[in-house]
Amino acid sequence: MDTVIDTTDRTFVEVAEIWVPEGDRLVWGGGAYGGLGGFEVASARESFGKGEGLPGNAWAEARPVVLKEFDGSYFKRTEAARAAGLTAAVAIPVFAGATLKAVLVVLCADDAERVGAIEVWAEGDGVLTLEDGYYGAASHFEWVSQHTQFPRGQGLVGGVWSAEAPILMRDLGSAYRFMRADSAGKAGLTNGLGLPIPVPGGRTYVLTLLSARSTPLARRFEIWDARTAKVGAKKEARLVDGICSREGPLWDPDNAGRERAVRIWQGPVGHALGSGLPVVESGSAAGGYAMMVALPIHAHGELSHVVAWYC
Amino acid sequence: MQKLVVIGAGMATGRLLEHLFEADPAAYEVTVFNAEPRGNYNRIMLSPVLSGEKSYAEIVTHDDAWYTANKVTCRFGERVVAIDRDRKVVTGERGEVPYDKLVFGTGSDPFIVPCPGHDLDGVVAYRDLDHTNRMVESAAMPGARAVVIGGGLLGLEAAAGLRLRGMEVTVLHLSGHLMDRQLDPAASYLLQKDLERRGIAVMTQASTKAIHGDGHVAHVELEDGTELPADLVVMAVGIRPSARLAREAGLEVGRAILVDAQMRTSDPDVFAVGECVEYAGHLFGLVAPLYDQAKVLAKTLLDEEDAFAVREVSTKLKVTGCDLFSAGDFAEGEGREDIVFRDPSRGVYKRLVIEADRLVGAVMYGDTADGNWFFGLIKDGTDISEMRESLIFGPAYQGGAAQDPLAAVAALPADAEICGCNGVCKGRIVEAVEGGATTLDAVRAETKASGSCGTCAGLVEQIMSVTLGDDFVLPAAKPVCPCTDLTHEDVRRLIKARELKSQPAVWQELGWNTPNGCHVCRPAVNYYLLADWPLDYRDDPQSRFVNERNHANIQKDGTYSVMPRMWGGITTPDELRAIADAADKYGVPTVKVTGGQRIDLLGVPKEQLPAIWGDLNAAGLVSGHAYTKGLRTVKTCVGTDWCRFGTQDSTGLGVKLEKMLWGSWTPHKVKLAVSGCPRNCAEATCKDIGIICVDSGYEIGVGGAAGMDLKPTEPLVKVVTEAEVFEWVVAFMQLYREHAKYLDRPYKWLAKVSLDWVRETLADPAERAALNERFAISQSVYQYDPWKEHTAAEQERRYQPLADLTLEAAE
Ligand SMILES: Cc1cc2nc3c(=O)[nH]c(=O)nc-3n(C[C@H](O)[C@H](O)[C@H](O)COP(=O)(O)OP(=O)(O)OC[C@H]3O[C@@H](n4cnc5c(N)ncnc54)[C@H](O)[C@@H]3O)c2cc1C
Ligand code: HEM
Ligand code: SF4
Repeated sequence: MDTVIDTTDRTFVEVAEIWVPEGDRLVWGGGAYGGLGGFEVASARESFGKGEGLPGNAWAEARPVVLKEFDGSYFKRTEAARAAGLTAAVAIPVFAGATLKAVLVVLCADDAERVGAIEVWAEGDGVLTLEDGYYGAASHFEWVSQHTQFPRGQGLVGGVWSAEAPILMRDLGSAYRFMRADSAGKAGLTNGLGLPIPVPGGRTYVLTLLSARSTPLARRFEIWDARTAKVGAKKEARLVDGICSREGPLWDPDNAGRERAVRIWQGPVGHALGSGLPVVESGSAAGGYAMMVALPIHAHGELSHVVAWYC
Repeated sequence: MQKLVVIGAGMATGRLLEHLFEADPAAYEVTVFNAEPRGNYNRIMLSPVLSGEKSYAEIVTHDDAWYTANKVTCRFGERVVAIDRDRKVVTGERGEVPYDKLVFGTGSDPFIVPCPGHDLDGVVAYRDLDHTNRMVESAAMPGARAVVIGGGLLGLEAAAGLRLRGMEVTVLHLSGHLMDRQLDPAASYLLQKDLERRGIAVMTQASTKAIHGDGHVAHVELEDGTELPADLVVMAVGIRPSARLAREAGLEVGRAILVDAQMRTSDPDVFAVGECVEYAGHLFGLVAPLYDQAKVLAKTLLDEEDAFAVREVSTKLKVTGCDLFSAGDFAEGEGREDIVFRDPSRGVYKRLVIEADRLVGAVMYGDTADGNWFFGLIKDGTDISEMRESLIFGPAYQGGAAQDPLAAVAALPADAEICGCNGVCKGRIVEAVEGGATTLDAVRAETKASGSCGTCAGLVEQIMSVTLGDDFVLPAAKPVCPCTDLTHEDVRRLIKARELKSQPAVWQELGWNTPNGCHVCRPAVNYYLLADWPLDYRDDPQSRFVNERNHANIQKDGTYSVMPRMWGGITTPDELRAIADAADKYGVPTVKVTGGQRIDLLGVPKEQLPAIWGDLNAAGLVSGHAYTKGLRTVKTCVGTDWCRFGTQDSTGLGVKLEKMLWGSWTPHKVKLAVSGCPRNCAEATCKDIGIICVDSGYEIGVGGAAGMDLKPTEPLVKVVTEAEVFEWVVAFMQLYREHAKYLDRPYKWLAKVSLDWVRETLADPAERAALNERFAISQSVYQYDPWKEHTAAEQERRYQPLADLTLEAAE
């Protein structure tokens, strides 16, 4: 499969962790830290008030927040992060209506080889423009992205916006909104996951995770559809798209509605479905991958999708 | 080992080989020819490859390793050009191969509209990977524009893919609604909305005339003269089974290669599977039946018994975020019953078609969760009489008690949102009711619930009923018809407030419980739409009464009456001669002077209508609209021209009024009269609008009637100049047109809204000016003689007596 290839042990995202509200603070709700035990220990005893640190900011501002530089920022775990080689982080709030369910934080390590991008696009004047992003070594692509905008329906982000659903693109390199495609191709970015991030207030945010062949963002991607309009009253979700470096395509080849399904509480995706919270696992619970993240999306008064990636 | 040669490495033959190798890998030595320079891939997934949502590598079904492992000789990129059945050899472009058994799996060829320019560079079909790649390349050009011809499954998937790739996309569709073979207009309406939300432009009833360009396509020209710039034109108008090779080889071919239930052609050693096959009159275009065929043929080739049977198919569109499902047959018909469910706030439409206690068709948009369950019921022919009431709610509801709507409302939690527009939840409404708001208006005033779009009014009332118990009596507003709970007034208000501009929009957004209305609501909604949106809505003749459809008044004996306009009751010797000539020529049995000062020719058979109107038109006479809900006649007296009592030019005024108002559609018929003095020879005081001239000017009265009800007009206003008469009369007409319930004469409407309100409204000069302006816009569309277009020879056919209908239907 050319979409996700095991060529390196190191992936673009090194750490994923969950912060859940408890009273008026966000407390540690678990995470996957790879070999970075020091950072894990430092994190587990941390907690954040609204507006405090990275998770607290995502909560207060009710939008995904990108932090490219820890030094001199409100990031609270700078020392531990530096020791672990982590240089950037993205906090993704999970809201169900006006209620904050959790904040998912992913942290990346910077070096010249690792190509990938995490972007936040926001709607204004009827188009989506880049609000912020972390690009690792793909600096030219960053520049192009800052100068690109997407109308409804166009490109990965415009597509996510109009479909109100996560989309997994395999081919950013050839003809993905011209300039950006060209630059993505140069940067080696080949595939991308785009997902809507519903927040209170109704502003449209689209988060993208773009990854390169050489440093895949993940080795397995899954998009689960859990809308009543798709699965009915059953408490389950259906695997509408997905690809895996081991299993290959994960979608229904006949377009006949015979997708794989999980019931609530069945495996990590079922847990995300049942609890409405993100789930981060490692080891055997992550299907044998180093790490897996299942991120639920709440939209229109229901849990609409779960996006999962395995590194 | 026997030699098996397969022509085409497509989806059907791919499945055939899988079954064959699984059952007996040693039975045949296989050679596969494929015109495409590659092996079998999942063709149906080309659309996500086009959009970038899949890679080609992912959709390869059989890779090189698979062909090698199964010892298949691959002749890919080589077309078979001939077959010699006597010698049992197949001739490819690069040489011959002998066979013992031969299988056709040549699929279909895309149909190319043979319009001028179809062969320009940049015009592509949509069938294989090469087409897909060409489209992807075109999308790489900044600002590139695509025109997709064909709004079926393939066309729309192409359009969505190209849009995702960054193109400006327009879809042209010949029929009135998208995917007309799989969807009804109601579901299509939602689909079109969804596509437009993606920035895709959709044009229905758009017929391509030519494609222009110098070597490369530059623009597409439509029959109506529209020109659409294009860098890429995708033709997705249909497919033709690829059967030429078989025909040339002397096999029996109908619309496709004829096979029996064992997939055998007319030659016992030659077989066929897939879209190139015709079986028992059926052609195939989706993979499910092809897989059945492949299974049968594998058995046949291994000398085992099996037989192919045609089964129902279901359709889904592969556009992320567009959820639609269709299966079975959902044409309207005798003995068929519809169950319709709509949820306007979620954009959901579901329709089930039932015949003889069996589900025969299902269409759904926006919520397809139960699609496969319904599909199962259709395929199995399950008797659904037991679950009919709750069928539309899907399997989850079966076995449960019938739903009491009030119980459902009672069960809603306090934070359930009731009014989506203003974000009012149930708890807030209950609070208001408990605080003393006991009418809908009071609740609306306090909470804003149902204050904007109004569709939740029924729900709010149910909450009031649940909260107040016996104290609350649901108001008995009379709905338009059993298709809806809304009243005429609600419908009119919502059409304006929510800018609903088509019938499907009304049915969907107002939650109609029938697919497209009934004989009661359709004429009303048709009228409301054309009155409120003259420039956007196209009048629908099918929603009109027979007289308006045929532009003549049907009489007791089935013949029609023909009554030309005589402006203000004035005629000329030439007009009279033309009328007399027509009466002679067509043997009109009765010629009568009517109560409205016109001459009526009675007893004209339907098929003569175009001809007689042709003659009358030639003499300058236009339709008198004696049959319409619209302006009828303006009666006048002779006024100052001749009468010694006359105070003003009543005849001239009547003529001018009629010329100004004719052709406009109104909720019910409108009759006018102008009398030159209070002696009132034109009987203006029993007309819908009656004008009495007096020395000091004009007295305009409205709301008279002289039918079953007898009512004198009531004074609206007194004005000084003719110009003011026009301004007021037009303003009154337009106010009536915009507000009255369909089939309310002005006097009935006035009884509801009160003359005072009308007077107050019209007293504002700005309001009068605005009404006049809107009337003028409407007249720019509707003031034409319907007979002008109907007398054209091609239209005449419509008025011939219905011949053999069955023959026409089979065409
Ligand atoms: C974009 C797209 C989307 C679709 N989506 C769906 C869907 O969602 N669901 C569904 O059920 N169906 C769908 N279909 C239809 C489905 O793909 C076809 O029904 C199916 O592929 C037909 O299979 P087949 O084997 O008969 O023909 P094909 O798959 O077309 O294979 C025929 C092969 O024969 C080759 N060939 C033809 N003539 C010769 C010759 N003389 N010599 C050598 N080789 C020859 C052709 O090159 C071709 O490769 C879709 C089709 C397209 C194009
Ligand atoms: C499609 C046209 C373009 C091509 C093919 C192109 C190509 C490149 C390449 C190959 C690089 C170095 C690679 C990298 O750093 O990732 C680069 C860097 C850069 N380009 Fe472009 N470029 C294009 C358009 C532009 C435009 C229009 C601008 C500004 C007006 C621009 C501004 C820059 C800048 C500022 C850098 C340095 C960014 C950095 O790496 O820090 N480029 N370009
Ligand atoms: S209404 Fe008056 S003006 Fe007109 S004809 Fe009669 S008497 Fe004469």
